[in-house]
Amino acid sequence: MTLSSDDDFAAAEFALGTLEPAGRARLAARRLREPDLDAAIHAWEARLAALSEATPPIEPPVDFLPAIEARIRSAASDSDGVATLHKRLSRWRAAAIGATGIAAALAIGFVAREATRARAPKEFVAILQKSADSPAFVASINLDSRELTVRPLAAPPQAGKSYELWIIEPKLGPPRSLGVIDAAAVTRGARLAPFDRTIVQDATYAVTVEPEGGSPDGKPSGPPVFVGKLVPVEP
Amino acid sequence: MSTAKETPKATESAAACDDLALLLGRVAARDAAAFASLYRATQAILYGVVARILTRGDASGEALQEAYVRIWEKAGEFDPAKGSPLAWMATIARNRALDEVRRVRPKSLEEMPEGFEPAAETVDPLAARSRSERLAALLACLDNLDADKRQAVLLAYYRGFSREALARRFGAPTATIKTWLRRSLMQLRECLES
Repeated sequence: MTLSSDDDFAAAEFALGTLEPAGRARLAARRLREPDLDAAIHAWEARLAALSEATPPIEPPVDFLPAIEARIRSAASDSDGVATLHKRLSRWRAAAIGATGIAAALAIGFVAREATRARAPKEFVAILQKSADSPAFVASINLDSRELTVRPLAAPPQAGKSYELWIIEPKLGPPRSLGVIDAAAVTRGARLAPFDRTIVQDATYAVTVEPEGGSPDGKPSGPPVFVGKLVPVEP
Repeated sequence: MSTAKETPKATESAAACDDLALLLGRVAARDAAAFASLYRATQAILYGVVARILTRGDASGEALQEAYVRIWEKAGEFDPAKGSPLAWMATIARNRALDEVRRVRPKSLEEMPEGFEPAAETVDPLAARSRSERLAALLACLDNLDADKRQAVLLAYYRGFSREALARRFGAPTATIKTWLRRSLMQLRECLES
């Protein structure tokens, strides 16, 4: 093991769960590129895991199985869709047709596909982009559940940095963080739960580049690199 | 969590453990019926894991759902040599809960209910009805720690207490808690490997 004793202790605390938010986020980012650290975290998790066998059961308040099965189905079709989209994007670019307009058209196609999938008018999407020809993320929001799903389209990976999503609405005061979003995979969660329906619907959504793990002080550290507003999937 | 209640069910036996390993194998082969059986057999344990850390019902339900999606995605990575199927699944659920409770967010969004203390502050693992060899070994090693330090490890494991929360709980500086944790964890590893 080439790990320093400090890093080994950090791995142990990560597994035990005692790290504060910023420390946990930093370690979560580091383990992605440091296999020794990742292995140490797994080893500590395995050492402590038997404790969970002694957890007294609590019956969940509702049966979550149907919702879980729906998520699994939707994740499967999402990853197919995004992979296909990436392939089409790169093929078109390689064919030197010129990406202007095409990426935007793709994004609109994507929205249309979303529309056919989600029939209820509670579904909204925002294309987060720098300019009309470079969509970076698509954010889908279910206004009833406040569930937020962010799919990367063509967000350039930022070495040692994280993308963070913000909700901006005058009534809220300063931008409020919706957490770090993944540039390579779908990010999903009920992150809009604390906000009003009308605020969610009227807000501007912005992405900034932050230190790894997200803004350390809860404020954007720079100007947005991508922005977008919500549009209803169905009028 | 208002409608959730503790249920006195026995924890897994060796036979149940084998059953879960078989189910996980079928889930890895994308068997939806096996996934449903796995969910039914383990939901209350996993909900017990996340609900003690998150304390809010909506967040616990969300973490439980995310955990099962990951279990479906990662079933093929389960290695019986490294622990029981239940411990593997509980680790996934626990990590989802910890990620949620430690999410980096502005202070204004902090909703941790201050002073929230459920009836049973932490789990007493000695009360477990059945013990795997791994659990028995871990409990024997935990028993070697001072009472406060053992309690700190258990509060962190079962209730998701951070260093700062432990510092408040024990009326000690955070630096002291860090030293406790470091000594306790290193002592645990030494004991487990001896």
